[in-house]
Amino acid sequence: MVSGFKMFIIRRIILYTALFFSVIIVTFLLIHLAPGDPTYILAGQVTDPEFIKAVRHRFGLDKPLYEQLIIYIENVLRGDLGYSYFRSEPVTKLILERLPATFLLVLTSMFIASLIGVLLGTLAAAKRGVVDSIISILSLLGISIPYFWLGQLMLIIFSMDLGWFPTGGMISLTTTYTGIYYYLDVLYHLVLPATTLAIFNIAYITRVTRGSVLETMSQDFIITARAKGLPERRVIFRHALRNALIPVVTFIGFNTGVLLVGAIVTETIFAWPGMGSLLYSSLQLRDYPVLLGIFIYGALIVITINLIVDILYGLLDPRIKRE
Amino acid sequence: MKRGILIIEKLKIIKSNIRLLLGVIIISVIVSLGLLASYITWYQPLMAMEGPPYQPPSLQHPFGTDDLGGDIYTNVIYGIRTSLFVGVLSAVIAMVIGIMIGTLAGYYGGFIDDLLMRIVDMAFIIPQFLLALLIATILGPNIYNITLAIGVTSWPGIARMTRAMILSIKQLTFIEAARVIGLSDTRIIFSELLPNALPPIIPYIALQASSNVLVEAGLGFLGVSDPNVPSLGMLLNDAQQHILMNAWWMSLFPGIFLSLMILGFNLLGDGLIEYMNPRLRRAS
Repeated sequence: MVSGFKMFIIRRIILYTALFFSVIIVTFLLIHLAPGDPTYILAGQVTDPEFIKAVRHRFGLDKPLYEQLIIYIENVLRGDLGYSYFRSEPVTKLILERLPATFLLVLTSMFIASLIGVLLGTLAAAKRGVVDSIISILSLLGISIPYFWLGQLMLIIFSMDLGWFPTGGMISLTTTYTGIYYYLDVLYHLVLPATTLAIFNIAYITRVTRGSVLETMSQDFIITARAKGLPERRVIFRHALRNALIPVVTFIGFNTGVLLVGAIVTETIFAWPGMGSLLYSSLQLRDYPVLLGIFIYGALIVITINLIVDILYGLLDPRIKRE
Repeated sequence: MKRGILIIEKLKIIKSNIRLLLGVIIISVIVSLGLLASYITWYQPLMAMEGPPYQPPSLQHPFGTDDLGGDIYTNVIYGIRTSLFVGVLSAVIAMVIGIMIGTLAGYYGGFIDDLLMRIVDMAFIIPQFLLALLIATILGPNIYNITLAIGVTSWPGIARMTRAMILSIKQLTFIEAARVIGLSDTRIIFSELLPNALPPIIPYIALQASSNVLVEAGLGFLGVSDPNVPSLGMLLNDAQQHILMNAWWMSLFPGIFLSLMILGFNLLGDGLIEYMNPRLRRAS
């Protein structure tokens, strides 16, 4: 028997594949949305006629629109997103080189944010009263303060004024560290950007967790657990939290795009060598192939993480597996 | 006993009104600052050499001066105007598109619903900010294109909510009755469905404005802003480019007003939603 869970995952994969194709179509439309010749969007601001001719040929820009679309989709699926004129390198290579740094930032801050956010949210829901009010006010402030401003302030205070942390980058340029010291050096550079991004996410996760735990606490099995005489701490952490985590995981999945964008913008503050700095410099140079490439890869990352979340979802909630 | 419950109920309403009240106050102040910009500033916006560069706050320049000697106070006040314009107008655009699509999907169902909801699904896969950034950059970053770019990328949440609302109202007997007496679809949608579906959705315009102000500032922060109009995001971008000058005032003041504006819209939205959906009052 193909289990319900397997079917569920297969259906998701089909949906995501279809969505990815539509993302490619949106990108294609964007290229043609631009005033003037789409060649300039695929080739950058190039004047060399030979190069333009080559690009026109490679993307079939001399053919009818629907054929262009097919050629474009083929190119994207092969990983050919065009060529960055300013850096004279393929877009895919540029992005893949910077992906690990972005992932490091996203994952670290997500880990911190989930841990603290779930803890604060549970605390607010369990204690109510003053603790709840304080946590709720703080999380409202957290979602209202733009994280890129917060990052800027942290950079000014902790790097420029106090000199506790480096002003940017991922490794020290003056000394070369090896072995464990290399990782410690990266960690040291990671503190400010990861904290900036985490604070922004903590606020959201706290709000979602609080609402979710509150809702779970009013359900029958919690009343049963309490009636059995289990200690309150056990009721909250073993019974309520496990069930309350499902919406939290869903929330993180749904907001991967926001998280990724948050990381990209945060990178530009701290000169973190990920996709953010690539995006920023490409914006200044109007390097459209790279911008479109970041867009497509962004969507691909969101899709992948959503698939992982779907699988986690099934593991956390046995009801889905049995369906 | 009953009286006690009544008093508690009232206190709860007042508690939710405090959020609403704070939101209204903050947004009123922000709107007044934006509207009165030319009366309460004494320099030209985006003008260089109004004073020496990198001056810390003083009486002449309450928020200091920037790298070109421009007055930051003037730029911040005019920047508030820009952020309000883009944030609110793009939220209205998102509202109109979202309500239209949500109503069509919910009312007609079937194929139209499937098609429209797949588009909404797509919007959850595409990072909205990156799409807005691309559209604004490709069209050319002036204030109208930026507003348009943010507006047309931020409607899916509203569409989803409207659809759910329409679906639940569609089943009520008075809609059935309207159909039986032979009212046209257009008539049913405009005079029966929407007047009942919209009131709980309208307050979300404030939350949409809050997130759109953030998107606009984010675009400005990355350098995607109208070069002819000061905006808070643009000022923060300036601060970032000259961060090594340690001119903290370049970052502090635009950020405070940006945060206040977003906080104000969040409070306003939360307060209005609680005020208009009394069921939520008990839950919170």
